[in-house]
Amino acid sequence: MLNVSPTSRAYETLPGLNDITIPALAPLPTGETEDTKRIVERFGEDIIAAGEHDGQQVIYVQPDNLVDLMQFLKSDPKLAYEAMIDATAVDRSKLPIGNTERFHMVYQMRSYQRKKHLMVLSPAPGGDDPVMPSLSPVFQAAIWPEREVYDLMGVKFTGHPDLRRILMPEHWPYHPLRKNIPVGGEEVPFSMTFDDQEFETLGKQILPSNSVAPTLPPGMSRQNMILNMGPHHPSTHGVLRLVVELDGETVVNIDPDLGYLHSGFEKMGETKRYKDFVYYTDRMDYLSSMNNNYGYVLTVEKMLGITIPERAQVIRVIMSELQRLASHLFWLSTHVLDVSGPGMSLLMYATRERERILDLFEMVCGARLTTSYIRVGGVWRDVPPSFMSNLQDLVKMLPKQFDEYEHMLTSGPLWRERLEGVGYLSREDAIDMGMTGPMLRGSGVDWDLRRDMPYGGYENYDFKVPVSQAGDCYARYLNRMEEMRQSVRIIEQAMANLPDGLYRTDERKVSLPPRAELDVSMEALIHHFKLMTEGFRVNPGMYYHGIEASKGELGYYIYSDGSGVPHRLHVRGPSFNNLYAISKMSKGEMLSDIITNIGTIDIVLGEVDR
Amino acid sequence: MDWLNLIVFPLIRSVILLFILLTAFAYLTWYERKLLARFQIRYGPNRAGPYGLMLPAADAVKAFFKEEVIPNHVDKVVYLLGPVLGLIPVLAVWAVIPITKNTPAIADVNIGFLWILALTGVESYGIILAGWGSNNNYSLLGALRSSAQMISYELPLGMFLVSILMLAGSFSLVQLVQSPRAWWEWLWLWIMFPFFFICMLAECNRTPFDLPETENELVAGFQTEYGGMKFAMFFIAEYLNVITTSTLMATLFFGGWKLPFGITDFLPILGPFVLAVKVIILLFVFIWVRASIGRPRYDQLMRFTWQYLLPGSIVYMIITALLVLFFK
Repeated sequence: MLNVSPTSRAYETLPGLNDITIPALAPLPTGETEDTKRIVERFGEDIIAAGEHDGQQVIYVQPDNLVDLMQFLKSDPKLAYEAMIDATAVDRSKLPIGNTERFHMVYQMRSYQRKKHLMVLSPAPGGDDPVMPSLSPVFQAAIWPEREVYDLMGVKFTGHPDLRRILMPEHWPYHPLRKNIPVGGEEVPFSMTFDDQEFETLGKQILPSNSVAPTLPPGMSRQNMILNMGPHHPSTHGVLRLVVELDGETVVNIDPDLGYLHSGFEKMGETKRYKDFVYYTDRMDYLSSMNNNYGYVLTVEKMLGITIPERAQVIRVIMSELQRLASHLFWLSTHVLDVSGPGMSLLMYATRERERILDLFEMVCGARLTTSYIRVGGVWRDVPPSFMSNLQDLVKMLPKQFDEYEHMLTSGPLWRERLEGVGYLSREDAIDMGMTGPMLRGSGVDWDLRRDMPYGGYENYDFKVPVSQAGDCYARYLNRMEEMRQSVRIIEQAMANLPDGLYRTDERKVSLPPRAELDVSMEALIHHFKLMTEGFRVNPGMYYHGIEASKGELGYYIYSDGSGVPHRLHVRGPSFNNLYAISKMSKGEMLSDIITNIGTIDIVLGEVDR
Repeated sequence: MDWLNLIVFPLIRSVILLFILLTAFAYLTWYERKLLARFQIRYGPNRAGPYGLMLPAADAVKAFFKEEVIPNHVDKVVYLLGPVLGLIPVLAVWAVIPITKNTPAIADVNIGFLWILALTGVESYGIILAGWGSNNNYSLLGALRSSAQMISYELPLGMFLVSILMLAGSFSLVQLVQSPRAWWEWLWLWIMFPFFFICMLAECNRTPFDLPETENELVAGFQTEYGGMKFAMFFIAEYLNVITTSTLMATLFFGGWKLPFGITDFLPILGPFVLAVKVIILLFVFIWVRASIGRPRYDQLMRFTWQYLLPGSIVYMIITALLVLFFK
């Protein structure tokens, strides 16, 4: 089942793992599908390769034809890949790539009508200084991911409307995700030098000083009031900074400034063995760590090609839905706090229910926030005996509590006043901007990965996907409330059908043997030793897998060179892409509506800032 | 010996009143924290002293010992004037409020109503000047909101006060409480009470109408640049304002120091205590509203005043005038 790649080259960058080897290139896709056939017919020679790889549709295209291809994918009625889910790049400079280009761009395309996924790859010409055509004219969803690729990888995009760094400071000298930038130990420049004019005022704020006016984001003018919200502002949900241009109280322009919580977990992932990155996923969207674990683990398991015991799958579904409930409850309480003020009691009511869910997490894995419970091959431990009865109590109680919240909010005139018609996003915009999750469903797109591209056994559950056409904050609020009720339904079904059996695969190549086995089996000891020292290896290739996390599609793109460490690990976070809509949603509305919109997008900065 | 009555006695009374009011303010913060905690399934203060009763003292000590930072970019005079102008009118309103039979807190002036209207007008200057003098965008927005909001809500408030005045037939609050009212007058007053209460909420900048402050949008609104004792003065002003308006409402709508059936007429010493109990009940309503009603948006708040509250109050005043004309 596990085929480890043939050796060809020692991996120099990781001392101690010298015997791990890599192939020259990830395997090219083979065969053809209906879609790739159509694309090859249209573009002919310009397609480098097309077909299937690990069950995914993959197209390699020449960069000159990329924009045309994307236009074609979007507009052709038989293809109808209307949304770009993600864009990222791979630096292959440490691989024996010969004369081929060092950087490759990777785009994830999605057709909501046809329920299809397509990966588009394109080499970025220019060697160490690559230049690509920007896809922003075709998809607005490309604007931020391209800025991110420019920032972290140094790929320039021609025709991009606003190619600035997005996460790192403006003057940062490196592109940190490039393979020649080490993890740690690089020289970190101070943000000011003695020559800077700003240095004069440093530490002298109390004394008379001439403060230097900061540079304005493009498109803003000093004719109106420029208001700086964040990075420490009570309701930007962390360290988000928004530069807002105000005309009276009306928002003229708004520019989010990210990166204050940049932790570089993609870079960390590229230095950690596959099994060790699970702990980092907890810290990304720290309000839904179970879902983060889940998405990552599913991607790795797909690459390994292992099957998971039935019991582990059901436990995972329970945990994932509990995490969705916890995340939505916290969203509700903070949304109410933002919109209605801190005295509002609902803040504490929803938090109380979330606490009970966290208690359950503590019961299964000892942690409340950073759970790391879902591991490659199954889950960490079986659920304790008292878990089920506690879960039963919770599930029985929750719908009543939801009724109570709805009684306080849904029919309340002030709540409706504040939410109805605010933050409007049309269906077309939502798709074009790459919205996912409740943001997408609130704008009338009937799409849920759990139902439409089932993973982890979700096809066995009966649940509804709430969709509303209104596209405003109130619609998204109602959707999320209904989603919570549906999550409870899923948990009820999972509890009824929880089978006995293994909670973790007995494939010893990826999963640790039980402690008792070590005393009697030499083989188990060897497996234990191998797993603890070098981890398991993954077939060379690439894989993208998205799950429906509480905030939207959480996707992991992994490019493996066959070693025990991912060559490229990219996380497509729902908050990051959804946050892009803030300027579209808030323009022309009042200052207070910005806060409402931040709440309705439901961002977690740990994930937005990567 | 007139100077004794004119200066010395009022002075002594003022000092006593000030002492009582500041203590009341301190314990109002405790009362609010405790009640809010109960509404929000928490315990509230329970560390400093029994039931957290020493918490206000700890707060006071903290406020006194904080460094007085005056940012360089502010207009110093206006910046320092803000908290003072915010606090003084709130205290001064108390002069005319009757605490027991024939006894106002300081002085029975025959223009009691006008005194109240004038001082509530001055009150908003404190906030506006603070926001303007702070030279900070958040403060400025808070001050703008405050000026618009307070001025808008003073209009229906004035209309309602005029209606009460017509029913009472006197500018003096002492007279108002003591003059007998017919049953339909009480009923007619109580119909107006919820709307009057809304005006008072806006007047005090209390949630849900705390738009000048709105910590979720404007960080701390007009008081963003204030710290230490200067912030404490705004804080005192806000809470004293709540106490003052509660007292005012108790006096105007619920008979002030009086109990039904003339009990307090025989025992005037009970008067202040009866008033205090009524005020505490009204304070509870203030806090209850805070715990359960969300905040409207600024434009929605203004629309509510100008479209509903102001026309409604004018209609109310006209009907009151007719009632007084024909039945009294």
